[in-house]
Amino acid sequence: DPSRTAMSSGSPAPCVLVDSREIASGPEVISCLRVKHGLRAEVCSLGGCNFIVSNRMAVERRTQSEISHSQNRGKLVERVQSLRAAFERVCLIVEKDRTKGETSRIIQRTRYYDSTLSALLGAGTRILFSSGQEETAGLLAELTRVEQRKNAAITVPLQVKGHRQQALQFYLTIPGVSYVSALNMCHRFRSVWHTVNSSVEGLAWGACVDPQRAEEIFRYFHYTFDAQLLPDRPTPGSSKRSL
Amino acid sequence: VRAGAAALYGQVLVNEKWRGSAIAQGFQGKIKPIFEDGLGLVDFHLSNQTCVLYISETDMVVGNSYKRKLVRFQKATSLRGIVLVEKTRISEQYFQSVQKFVVLELGMTLLPVASQTEASQLLIQLVHEESKEHGHNPFRRKSRSNLAEPAVLAMVQQIPGVGKVKALALLQQFPSIHQLSNATTEELEVVVGRTIAQQIRTFFIQT
Repeated sequence: DPSRTAMSSGSPAPCVLVDSREIASGPEVISCLRVKHGLRAEVCSLGGCNFIVSNRMAVERRTQSEISHSQNRGKLVERVQSLRAAFERVCLIVEKDRTKGETSRIIQRTRYYDSTLSALLGAGTRILFSSGQEETAGLLAELTRVEQRKNAAITVPLQVKGHRQQALQFYLTIPGVSYVSALNMCHRFRSVWHTVNSSVEGLAWGACVDPQRAEEIFRYFHYTFDAQLLPDRPTPGSSKRSL
Repeated sequence: VRAGAAALYGQVLVNEKWRGSAIAQGFQGKIKPIFEDGLGLVDFHLSNQTCVLYISETDMVVGNSYKRKLVRFQKATSLRGIVLVEKTRISEQYFQSVQKFVVLELGMTLLPVASQTEASQLLIQLVHEESKEHGHNPFRRKSRSNLAEPAVLAMVQQIPGVGKVKALALLQQFPSIHQLSNATTEELEVVVGRTIAQQIRTFFIQT
Protein backbone atom coordinates (compact mmCIF):
# COMPACT_ATOMS: atom_id res chain seq x y z
CA ASP A 1 0.00 0.00 0.00
CA PRO A 2 1.59 3.23 -1.10
CA SER A 3 2.55 5.38 1.84
CA ARG A 4 0.78 8.72 1.91
CA THR A 5 3.50 10.40 3.86
CA ALA A 6 6.39 9.34 1.69
CA MET A 7 6.27 12.47 -0.37
CA SER A 8 5.96 14.90 2.51
CA SER A 9 9.11 13.87 4.34
CA GLY A 10 11.88 16.46 4.22
CA SER A 11 9.23 19.24 4.31
CA PRO A 12 9.83 21.62 1.42
CA ALA A 13 8.12 25.01 1.62
CA PRO A 14 4.33 24.72 1.66
CA CYS A 15 2.75 25.68 -1.64
CA VAL A 16 -0.19 27.60 -2.96
CA LEU A 17 -1.68 27.57 -6.43
CA VAL A 18 -2.52 31.06 -7.67
CA ASP A 19 -4.72 31.89 -10.63
CA SER A 20 -2.94 33.96 -13.27
CA ARG A 21 -5.64 36.65 -13.08
CA GLU A 22 -4.37 37.52 -9.60
CA ILE A 23 -1.23 38.96 -11.19
CA ALA A 24 -3.27 41.96 -12.26
CA SER A 25 -5.68 42.14 -9.35
CA GLY A 26 -3.42 41.16 -6.48
CA PRO A 27 0.29 41.45 -7.28
CA GLU A 28 1.17 42.34 -3.70
CA VAL A 29 -0.55 39.22 -2.46
CA ILE A 30 1.68 37.04 -4.60
CA SER A 31 4.93 38.76 -3.73
CA CYS A 32 4.04 38.77 -0.03
CA LEU A 33 3.31 35.05 -0.11
CA ARG A 34 6.72 34.40 -1.58
CA VAL A 35 8.93 36.93 0.14
CA LYS A 36 7.33 37.52 3.52
CA HIS A 37 5.83 34.09 4.14
CA GLY A 38 8.28 31.90 2.27
CA LEU A 39 5.64 29.94 0.43
CA ARG A 40 5.97 28.48 -3.01
CA ALA A 41 3.34 30.23 -5.07
CA GLU A 42 2.77 28.66 -8.45
CA VAL A 43 0.88 30.87 -10.86
CA CYS A 44 -1.19 29.10 -13.49
CA SER A 45 -4.57 29.18 -15.12
CA LEU A 46 -6.89 27.73 -12.50
CA GLY A 47 -10.13 28.29 -14.38
CA GLY A 48 -12.78 29.02 -11.81
CA CYS A 49 -10.67 29.64 -8.78
CA ASN A 50 -8.47 32.35 -7.21
CA PHE A 51 -6.26 30.32 -4.87
CA ILE A 52 -5.87 26.69 -3.91
CA VAL A 53 -4.15 26.24 -0.53
CA SER A 54 -4.40 22.47 -0.07
CA ASN A 55 -5.76 19.31 -1.66
CA ARG A 56 -9.24 20.25 -0.51
CA MET A 57 -9.50 24.03 0.05
CA ALA A 58 -10.15 26.84 -2.40
CA VAL A 59 -9.92 30.48 -1.38
CA GLU A 60 -11.86 33.16 -3.15
CA ARG A 61 -10.69 36.76 -2.82
CA ARG A 62 -13.31 39.48 -3.22
CA THR A 63 -13.48 43.14 -2.31
CA GLN A 64 -16.08 44.45 0.09
CA SER A 65 -17.78 46.44 -2.65
CA GLU A 66 -18.05 43.34 -4.84
CA ILE A 67 -20.01 41.59 -2.10
CA SER A 68 -22.08 44.67 -1.39
CA HIS A 69 -23.72 45.08 -4.74
CA SER A 70 -26.44 42.88 -6.11
CA GLN A 71 -25.27 43.31 -9.72
CA ASN A 72 -22.43 40.92 -8.94
CA ARG A 73 -24.69 38.40 -7.30
CA GLY A 74 -25.07 36.09 -10.32
CA LYS A 75 -21.33 35.69 -10.79
CA LEU A 76 -20.68 35.18 -7.10
CA VAL A 77 -23.39 32.53 -6.90
CA GLU A 78 -22.00 30.72 -9.93
CA ARG A 79 -18.48 30.82 -8.55
CA VAL A 80 -19.39 29.57 -5.08
CA GLN A 81 -21.58 26.80 -6.53
CA SER A 82 -18.77 25.49 -8.70
CA LEU A 83 -16.22 25.78 -5.91
CA ARG A 84 -18.48 23.86 -3.55
CA ALA A 85 -18.80 21.12 -6.15
CA ALA A 86 -15.06 20.75 -6.60
CA PHE A 87 -13.68 21.46 -3.12
CA GLU A 88 -14.46 20.08 0.31
CA ARG A 89 -13.70 23.48 1.84
CA VAL A 90 -14.38 26.88 0.43
CA CYS A 91 -13.12 30.05 2.06
CA LEU A 92 -13.89 33.62 1.11
CA ILE A 93 -11.56 36.49 1.99
CA VAL A 94 -13.40 39.81 1.99
CA GLU A 95 -10.80 42.48 1.33
CA LYS A 96 -11.33 46.16 1.99
CA ASP A 97 -11.36 48.18 -1.19
CA ARG A 98 -8.20 50.01 -2.05
CA THR A 99 -8.75 53.74 -1.76
CA LYS A 100 -6.92 56.46 -3.59
CA GLY A 101 -5.86 59.49 -1.66
CA GLU A 102 -6.50 60.36 1.94
CA THR A 103 -10.24 60.10 2.28
CA SER A 104 -11.05 56.52 3.12
CA ARG A 105 -14.28 55.80 1.37
CA ILE A 106 -16.49 54.15 3.91
CA ILE A 107 -18.63 51.62 2.20
CA GLN A 108 -22.17 51.82 3.46
CA ARG A 109 -23.07 48.52 5.01
CA THR A 110 -26.14 47.28 3.24
CA ARG A 111 -28.81 44.75 4.11
CA TYR A 112 -27.73 43.04 0.93
CA TYR A 113 -24.19 42.65 2.23
CA ASP A 114 -25.45 41.12 5.48
CA SER A 115 -27.83 38.75 3.73
CA THR A 116 -25.09 37.64 1.32
CA LEU A 117 -22.74 36.90 4.21
CA SER A 118 -25.51 35.02 6.02
CA ALA A 119 -26.31 32.95 2.95
CA LEU A 120 -22.64 32.18 2.38
CA LEU A 121 -22.34 31.00 5.98
CA GLY A 122 -25.49 28.96 5.52
CA ALA A 123 -23.79 27.24 2.60
CA GLY A 124 -20.80 26.29 4.73
CA THR A 125 -18.42 28.91 3.34
CA ARG A 126 -15.73 30.08 5.72
CA ILE A 127 -15.28 33.83 5.75
CA LEU A 128 -12.24 35.91 6.66
CA PHE A 129 -11.79 39.68 6.58
CA SER A 130 -8.74 41.59 5.43
CA SER A 131 -7.86 45.26 5.19
CA GLY A 132 -5.61 44.91 2.16
CA GLN A 133 -3.42 42.73 -0.02
CA GLU A 134 -0.73 42.25 2.60
CA GLU A 135 -3.21 41.01 5.17
CA THR A 136 -4.81 38.77 2.55
CA ALA A 137 -1.43 37.18 1.93
CA GLY A 138 -1.07 36.65 5.67
CA LEU A 139 -4.43 34.93 5.86
CA LEU A 140 -3.62 32.74 2.86
CA ALA A 141 -0.34 31.74 4.48
CA GLU A 142 -2.14 30.89 7.74
CA LEU A 143 -4.73 28.81 5.92
CA THR A 144 -2.00 26.96 4.04
CA ARG A 145 -0.18 26.13 7.25
CA VAL A 146 -3.36 25.05 9.05
CA GLU A 147 -4.16 22.75 6.14
CA GLN A 148 -0.63 21.41 6.29
CA ARG A 149 -1.06 20.58 9.98
CA LYS A 150 -4.21 18.70 9.06
CA ASN A 151 -2.31 16.62 6.48
CA ALA A 152 -4.06 18.16 3.53
CA ALA A 153 -1.09 19.98 2.02
CA ILE A 154 -0.34 19.71 -1.66
CA THR A 155 2.60 17.32 -1.92
CA VAL A 156 2.94 16.72 -5.64
CA PRO A 157 5.01 18.84 -8.00
CA LEU A 158 3.05 21.90 -9.06
CA GLN A 159 4.23 21.71 -12.61
CA VAL A 160 3.32 19.17 -15.20
CA LYS A 161 5.71 18.47 -18.05
CA GLY A 162 5.68 16.67 -21.35
CA HIS A 163 2.92 14.19 -22.07
CA ARG A 164 1.55 14.62 -18.56
CA GLN A 165 0.17 17.95 -19.76
CA GLN A 166 -2.24 16.00 -21.97
CA ALA A 167 -3.28 13.88 -19.02
CA LEU A 168 -3.89 17.03 -16.94
CA GLN A 169 -6.16 18.54 -19.59
CA PHE A 170 -7.91 15.19 -19.87
CA TYR A 171 -8.65 15.10 -16.13
CA LEU A 172 -9.72 18.73 -16.08
CA THR A 173 -12.73 17.86 -18.26
CA ILE A 174 -14.21 15.78 -15.44
CA PRO A 175 -17.14 17.77 -14.02
CA GLY A 176 -16.64 18.85 -10.43
CA VAL A 177 -12.93 18.07 -10.39
CA SER A 178 -10.56 20.72 -9.11
CA TYR A 179 -7.24 21.71 -10.63
CA VAL A 180 -5.41 20.23 -7.65
CA SER A 181 -7.29 16.91 -7.89
CA ALA A 182 -6.34 16.70 -11.57
CA LEU A 183 -2.74 17.52 -10.65
CA ASN A 184 -2.73 14.78 -8.04
CA MET A 185 -4.08 12.26 -10.50
CA CYS A 186 -1.34 13.18 -12.98
CA HIS A 187 1.42 12.51 -10.50
CA ARG A 188 0.03 9.76 -8.33
CA PHE A 189 -1.27 7.34 -10.95
CA ARG A 190 1.25 5.55 -13.17
CA SER A 191 -0.78 6.21 -16.30
CA VAL A 192 -4.17 7.45 -17.45
CA TRP A 193 -5.18 3.81 -17.80
CA HIS A 194 -4.47 3.31 -14.09
CA THR A 195 -6.63 6.27 -13.13
CA VAL A 196 -9.55 5.26 -15.32
CA ASN A 197 -9.39 1.65 -14.10
CA SER A 198 -9.00 2.51 -10.46
CA SER A 199 -11.43 1.54 -7.75
CA VAL A 200 -13.27 4.18 -5.74
CA GLU A 201 -10.77 3.76 -2.89
CA GLY A 202 -7.91 4.06 -5.36
CA LEU A 203 -9.36 7.27 -6.75
CA ALA A 204 -9.78 8.72 -3.26
CA TRP A 205 -6.11 8.05 -2.63
CA GLY A 206 -4.80 9.14 -6.03
CA ALA A 207 -6.84 12.30 -6.45
CA CYS A 208 -6.68 13.12 -2.72
CA VAL A 209 -10.43 13.55 -2.49
CA ASP A 210 -13.13 12.43 -0.09
CA PRO A 211 -15.00 9.14 -0.78
CA GLN A 212 -18.05 10.94 -2.15
CA ARG A 213 -16.08 12.77 -4.80
CA ALA A 214 -14.10 9.63 -5.58
CA GLU A 215 -17.41 7.86 -6.15
CA GLU A 216 -18.53 10.60 -8.56
CA ILE A 217 -15.30 10.37 -10.54
CA PHE A 218 -15.62 6.58 -10.69
CA ARG A 219 -19.19 6.82 -11.95
CA TYR A 220 -18.11 9.33 -14.55
CA PHE A 221 -15.44 7.03 -15.97
CA HIS A 222 -18.01 4.24 -16.16
CA TYR A 223 -20.83 6.40 -17.49
CA THR A 224 -22.50 4.95 -20.59
CA PHE A 225 -22.50 7.57 -23.30
CA ASP A 226 -25.67 8.05 -25.33
CA ALA A 227 -25.31 10.40 -28.29
CA GLN A 228 -29.07 10.99 -28.24
CA LEU A 229 -28.65 12.84 -24.95
CA LEU A 230 -26.33 15.49 -26.32
CA PRO A 231 -27.91 18.94 -26.24
CA ASP A 232 -29.94 19.81 -29.34
CA ARG A 233 -28.15 21.59 -32.09
CA PRO A 234 -30.28 23.74 -34.42
CA THR A 235 -30.43 22.20 -37.90
CA PRO A 236 -30.23 24.51 -40.96
CA GLY A 237 -33.67 25.35 -42.34
CA SER A 238 -35.68 24.65 -39.24
CA SER A 239 -36.85 27.66 -37.31
CA LYS A 240 -37.39 27.00 -33.67
CA ARG A 241 -38.86 30.10 -32.25
CA SER A 242 -38.30 30.53 -28.57
CA LEU A 243 -41.41 31.12 -26.52
CA VAL B 1 -24.83 27.29 28.06
CA ARG B 2 -28.38 26.10 27.84
CA ALA B 3 -28.42 23.37 25.26
CA GLY B 4 -31.33 22.85 22.91
CA ALA B 5 -32.84 26.29 23.32
CA ALA B 6 -35.01 26.44 20.23
CA ALA B 7 -36.16 29.64 18.64
CA LEU B 8 -39.16 29.66 16.37
CA TYR B 9 -38.79 31.16 12.94
CA GLY B 10 -38.49 34.91 13.05
CA GLN B 11 -37.58 34.83 16.70
CA VAL B 12 -34.33 35.10 18.55
CA LEU B 13 -33.51 34.14 22.13
CA VAL B 14 -31.70 37.03 23.73
CA ASN B 15 -29.63 37.02 26.88
CA GLU B 16 -31.38 39.10 29.53
CA LYS B 17 -28.34 41.40 29.76
CA TRP B 18 -29.25 42.88 26.37
CA ARG B 19 -32.63 44.14 27.46
CA GLY B 20 -32.97 47.81 26.56
CA SER B 21 -29.82 47.78 24.46
CA ALA B 22 -29.40 49.29 21.00
CA ILE B 23 -29.20 45.78 19.58
CA ALA B 24 -32.55 44.79 21.06
CA GLN B 25 -34.14 48.03 19.92
CA GLY B 26 -32.92 47.39 16.39
CA PHE B 27 -34.94 44.17 16.27
CA GLN B 28 -38.25 45.98 16.62
CA GLY B 29 -40.61 45.30 13.80
CA LYS B 30 -38.24 42.87 12.12
CA ILE B 31 -37.73 39.92 14.43
CA LYS B 32 -39.10 39.05 17.84
CA PRO B 33 -36.65 38.98 20.74
CA ILE B 34 -37.37 36.60 23.59
CA PHE B 35 -35.35 37.49 26.64
CA GLU B 36 -34.00 34.59 28.66
CA ASP B 37 -32.18 34.55 31.90
CA GLY B 38 -30.28 31.29 31.79
CA LEU B 39 -28.31 31.62 28.56
CA GLY B 40 -24.97 31.80 30.32
CA LEU B 41 -22.10 32.52 27.97
CA VAL B 42 -24.35 32.83 24.96
CA ASP B 43 -25.65 36.22 23.88
CA PHE B 44 -28.18 35.14 21.24
CA HIS B 45 -29.69 31.83 20.14
CA LEU B 46 -30.61 31.80 16.48
CA SER B 47 -31.85 28.23 16.50
CA ASN B 48 -31.28 25.09 18.49
CA GLN B 49 -28.04 24.59 16.63
CA THR B 50 -26.59 28.03 16.22
CA CYS B 51 -25.84 30.75 18.68
CA VAL B 52 -24.03 34.06 18.76
CA LEU B 53 -21.43 35.38 21.15
CA TYR B 54 -20.66 39.08 21.21
CA ILE B 55 -17.26 40.63 21.78
CA SER B 56 -17.44 44.35 22.36
CA GLU B 57 -14.78 46.96 21.65
CA THR B 58 -14.12 47.10 25.38
CA ASP B 59 -13.73 43.31 25.64
CA MET B 60 -11.06 43.40 22.97
CA VAL B 61 -9.17 46.31 24.42
CA VAL B 62 -9.27 45.19 28.04
CA GLY B 63 -7.53 41.87 27.60
CA ASN B 64 -7.83 38.23 26.70
CA SER B 65 -10.73 37.15 28.87
CA TYR B 66 -12.94 36.96 25.80
CA LYS B 67 -10.64 34.18 24.60
CA ARG B 68 -11.23 32.17 27.74
CA LYS B 69 -14.96 32.72 27.34
CA LEU B 70 -14.90 31.32 23.81
CA VAL B 71 -12.80 28.33 24.80
CA ARG B 72 -15.22 27.61 27.66
CA PHE B 73 -18.11 27.85 25.24
CA GLN B 74 -16.53 25.36 22.86
CA LYS B 75 -15.83 22.92 25.62
CA ALA B 76 -19.33 23.20 27.07
CA THR B 77 -21.37 22.56 23.95
CA SER B 78 -21.50 21.21 20.44
CA LEU B 79 -23.58 24.16 19.27
CA ARG B 80 -22.30 26.09 16.31
CA GLY B 81 -21.03 29.45 17.49
CA ILE B 82 -20.89 32.66 15.51
CA VAL B 83 -18.81 35.40 17.05
CA LEU B 84 -19.77 39.00 16.43
CA VAL B 85 -16.94 41.41 17.15
CA GLU B 86 -17.02 45.19 17.40
CA LYS B 87 -14.41 46.41 14.95
CA THR B 88 -14.00 50.13 15.54
CA ARG B 89 -11.18 52.61 15.12
CA ILE B 90 -10.15 51.77 18.66
CA SER B 91 -10.34 48.00 18.51
CA GLU B 92 -9.19 47.65 14.90
CA GLN B 93 -5.59 46.97 15.86
CA TYR B 94 -6.63 43.78 17.66
CA PHE B 95 -8.87 42.51 14.91
CA GLN B 96 -6.42 40.32 13.00
CA SER B 97 -5.27 38.52 16.11
CA VAL B 98 -8.87 37.99 17.24
CA GLN B 99 -9.71 36.64 13.81
CA LYS B 100 -6.74 34.32 13.83
CA PHE B 101 -7.73 32.96 17.22
CA VAL B 102 -11.46 32.59 16.57
CA VAL B 103 -11.39 31.29 13.02
CA LEU B 104 -8.06 29.62 12.48
CA GLU B 105 -7.50 28.20 15.95
CA LEU B 106 -11.01 27.59 17.28
CA GLY B 107 -12.65 27.05 13.89
CA MET B 108 -15.59 29.33 14.69
CA THR B 109 -17.21 31.93 12.47
CA LEU B 110 -16.30 35.57 12.98
CA LEU B 111 -18.22 38.58 11.71
CA PRO B 112 -17.09 42.16 12.35
CA VAL B 113 -19.61 44.93 13.04
CA ALA B 114 -18.93 48.60 13.61
CA SER B 115 -21.59 49.15 16.23
CA GLN B 116 -24.55 47.60 18.03
CA THR B 117 -26.80 49.04 15.34
CA GLU B 118 -24.91 47.16 12.65
CA ALA B 119 -24.91 44.05 14.83
CA SER B 120 -28.66 44.30 15.10
CA GLN B 121 -29.13 44.40 11.33
CA LEU B 122 -26.73 41.53 10.81
CA LEU B 123 -28.49 39.41 13.42
CA ILE B 124 -31.79 40.01 11.63
CA GLN B 125 -30.30 38.61 8.43
CA LEU B 126 -28.78 35.66 10.27
CA VAL B 127 -32.18 34.86 11.79
CA HIS B 128 -33.85 35.12 8.38
CA GLU B 129 -31.27 32.74 6.95
CA GLU B 130 -31.96 30.21 9.70
CA SER B 131 -35.67 30.33 8.92
CA LYS B 132 -35.19 29.64 5.25
CA GLU B 133 -35.33 26.18 3.83
CA HIS B 134 -32.09 24.95 2.35
CA GLY B 135 -33.45 25.05 -1.16
CA HIS B 136 -33.72 28.82 -0.92
CA ASN B 137 -30.03 29.41 -0.47
CA PRO B 138 -28.63 30.07 -3.95
CA PHE B 139 -25.11 29.21 -2.88
CA ARG B 140 -26.14 25.71 -1.88
CA ARG B 141 -27.84 24.84 -5.13
CA LYS B 142 -26.01 22.41 -7.35
CA SER B 143 -26.10 23.71 -10.88
CA ARG B 144 -24.63 20.61 -12.42
CA SER B 145 -26.93 18.60 -14.61
CA ASN B 146 -26.82 14.83 -14.37
CA LEU B 147 -26.09 14.36 -18.04
CA ALA B 148 -22.42 13.74 -18.57
CA GLU B 149 -22.59 13.47 -22.35
CA PRO B 150 -21.05 16.84 -23.19
CA ALA B 151 -18.21 16.34 -20.71
CA VAL B 152 -17.47 12.78 -21.85
CA LEU B 153 -17.39 13.91 -25.46
CA ALA B 154 -15.05 16.76 -24.55
CA MET B 155 -12.84 14.37 -22.62
CA VAL B 156 -12.39 11.95 -25.52
CA GLN B 157 -11.45 14.89 -27.72
CA GLN B 158 -8.56 15.61 -25.36
CA ILE B 159 -6.84 12.52 -26.67
CA PRO B 160 -4.29 13.66 -29.28
CA GLY B 161 -5.52 13.16 -32.81
CA VAL B 162 -9.16 12.74 -31.83
CA GLY B 163 -11.60 15.35 -33.07
CA LYS B 164 -15.35 15.44 -32.65
CA VAL B 165 -16.21 13.03 -35.47
CA LYS B 166 -13.75 10.37 -34.31
CA ALA B 167 -14.81 10.91 -30.69
CA LEU B 168 -18.44 10.17 -31.54
CA ALA B 169 -17.43 7.11 -33.54
CA LEU B 170 -15.29 5.82 -30.68
CA LEU B 171 -18.02 6.37 -28.10
CA GLN B 172 -20.45 4.52 -30.33
CA GLN B 173 -18.19 1.43 -30.13
CA PHE B 174 -16.85 1.91 -26.62
CA PRO B 175 -19.55 3.78 -24.73
CA SER B 176 -17.60 4.63 -21.61
CA ILE B 177 -14.17 6.11 -20.88
CA HIS B 178 -13.42 2.90 -18.98
CA GLN B 179 -14.23 0.73 -21.98
CA LEU B 180 -12.29 2.99 -24.30
CA SER B 181 -9.21 2.71 -22.07
CA ASN B 182 -9.35 -1.08 -22.39
CA ALA B 183 -9.88 -1.29 -26.14
CA THR B 184 -6.99 -2.99 -27.94
CA THR B 185 -5.17 -1.41 -30.85
CA GLU B 186 -6.87 -3.90 -33.19
CA GLU B 187 -10.33 -2.99 -31.89
CA LEU B 188 -9.56 0.72 -32.19
CA GLU B 189 -8.12 0.40 -35.71
CA VAL B 190 -11.49 -0.67 -37.04
CA VAL B 191 -13.00 2.64 -35.92
CA VAL B 192 -10.25 5.24 -36.40
CA GLY B 193 -7.47 3.64 -38.41
CA ARG B 194 -4.05 2.41 -37.30
CA THR B 195 -2.27 5.73 -36.62
CA ILE B 196 -4.90 7.21 -34.35
CA ALA B 197 -5.48 3.80 -32.73
CA GLN B 198 -1.83 3.73 -31.70
CA GLN B 199 -2.00 7.31 -30.44
CA ILE B 200 -4.97 6.40 -28.29
CA ARG B 201 -3.22 3.38 -26.80
CA THR B 202 -0.12 5.43 -26.10
CA PHE B 203 -2.16 8.15 -24.44
CA PHE B 204 -3.69 5.69 -22.01
CA ILE B 205 -0.71 3.53 -21.16
CA GLN B 206 2.31 5.83 -21.25
CA THR B 207 3.74 6.40 -17.77
